[in-house]
Amino acid sequence: MTRKGLLAGLCLGTLLSGPLAAQDNMDKLTSMKRTDATFTTVPQDDDRATALKDIVPFIKVPDGFEASLYAVVPDARSMAVAPQGTVTFVGTRKDKVWSVVDRDRNRIADEVKDFAPSVTFDLPNGPCFSPDGFLFIAERNRVLTFPAAEFFFEGPDPAVGVVVDKGKLIPAEEESFNHTARVCRVGPDGKLYISLGQPHNIQPVDKHQMYDETGIGGIIRMNKDGTGREVFTRGIRNSVGHDFNPANGELWFTDNQVDGMGDDIPPGELNRQTKPGQHFGFPWVNGAVEIPEYKDVPRPEGVEFTAPAVEMQAHAADLGMRFYVGKSFPEKYHGGIFSAQHGSWNRTKPVGARVMFTPVDTEGKAGTPEVFAEGWLDEETGEYRGRPMDIAFLPDGSMLVSDDFAGAIWRIAAKK
Amino acid sequence: MRGMLSLALGGLLLAGGALADPVGNRADGRKLAGQCRTCHGLDGKSQMPVAPNIGGESETYIRAQLTAFRDGRRVNEMMTIVARNLNDQQIADLAAWYAGHRITATMTADPAGAPEQCVACHGADGIRLIDEAPNLAGENNIYIDTQLKAFRSGSRPSEIMAPVAAELTDAQIRAVADWYGATQIAIETVE
Repeated sequence: MTRKGLLAGLCLGTLLSGPLAAQDNMDKLTSMKRTDATFTTVPQDDDRATALKDIVPFIKVPDGFEASLYAVVPDARSMAVAPQGTVTFVGTRKDKVWSVVDRDRNRIADEVKDFAPSVTFDLPNGPCFSPDGFLFIAERNRVLTFPAAEFFFEGPDPAVGVVVDKGKLIPAEEESFNHTARVCRVGPDGKLYISLGQPHNIQPVDKHQMYDETGIGGIIRMNKDGTGREVFTRGIRNSVGHDFNPANGELWFTDNQVDGMGDDIPPGELNRQTKPGQHFGFPWVNGAVEIPEYKDVPRPEGVEFTAPAVEMQAHAADLGMRFYVGKSFPEKYHGGIFSAQHGSWNRTKPVGARVMFTPVDTEGKAGTPEVFAEGWLDEETGEYRGRPMDIAFLPDGSMLVSDDFAGAIWRIAAKK
Repeated sequence: MRGMLSLALGGLLLAGGALADPVGNRADGRKLAGQCRTCHGLDGKSQMPVAPNIGGESETYIRAQLTAFRDGRRVNEMMTIVARNLNDQQIADLAAWYAGHRITATMTADPAGAPEQCVACHGADGIRLIDEAPNLAGENNIYIDTQLKAFRSGSRPSEIMAPVAAELTDAQIRAVADWYGATQIAIETVE
């Protein structure tokens, strides 16, 4: 027997003993029963908080603005500010959703604890709210909804409903990790929009058709009860940020481009969708750059690829984005898009780790993007101090920037 | 000097009938690690949930994984790209650098609760007992969960792990992931 065979035998021999099963309390919770779950609270005044505050002076914002530390939030990803503004829900690429509370409205979080600790979350990156206060959480392969989460988050066993059952968002064999951070929004039509990144750098040729039909490498929409699912957006690689233009209801989204073609191509993308079912070109193209692997693969018939509305710097990793609907920022920012660049991971010279602003005019057209906030990348050493991931706005119009590297939420406000 | 040494070693190995494995150089590995550190840290402590801790793994394991990524036997949207240009010497250098750090685990749970099907190779606290196995201590539970499912589906091929994972339900996989994810680790940088 070889050593490998021996090892396999050894491991198999002990396999069947010891029943092991993670607790999933969905049955109890959907029937409003209690569990014995307890909260994990994140200290807001320890050494970690002090170290984060030391980063603040490096954050460069335009004249008339100021940056501060809003909350210590480990692994902070996509955010959803509740309608009343008291609590912000923050997803992670781990197993927690954090509730970040500012009861006294001094714009510094008073309390950060895990939301619904009774639920076994699996990569709950994407929280979003409906206008009537239902919180949706898009996980790797399930979608849950929590009615009146803004009020029920105080207890460990909030009411919960299942929108998409486990294993039904995508086929289980297509589950991956890196391109599986979902983002959701409730659109002006009241439907739930969820991005589904495709799990590869470039999908294998024998998979592109199935992906296209399922909405993998796209954005799907469905009714809030999970019925009526359809593919809304086609031809995306891995979008981790979308939002609706409040002026005309059009969907905009960021996309992450193919790696391994060099430092300067393909460009980053901000896309504008004007009608359902539009195809944005991937895996045949990223913007104007052709993907060599798909050169000889027939393009979908009768489909015209929609070019990006804005091209961003290559590999800066444009992720979360949001239209500005507040009042407290100067006029020039009203109705425009703020987006987070997470920063490159394998570019020779790192780029990104900043917040971009792209103006959008009254016809819904994008202007030239500009850097709004930066300083999270140490240009000298190429090391990150932080990596902005998503943008959200508090009811006072000030900006929250989530950062899953530093484990923080930063706040940027117009000086009074 | 180094060239002479590897020449001598190569000669010995060849004489013994085995393939010549390059000897890793830690200083060269440290330089190469510049392209790893955004995700794995210079000390091999994960900087983001999708990247595992690699500081203090065995050289055997790191070499095997990097080689598998390079040769297409293990596929990942990031690592496939990073590894495709590495030669055997560079893989050996990187393995030497990251394997040279010291990892320690602190477990608060009763070791009797450790998943029995894993402990023979990965230890109760997730520090490996054999060089072919990775440390699991302190790994993000979602990372472990993802890997076990990949072993089960065959998308990450492994003669050893495939039959182990084949017997596990989703809930059992998550329980294993939660067990090892709960261990606290420290990685001491060794220059």
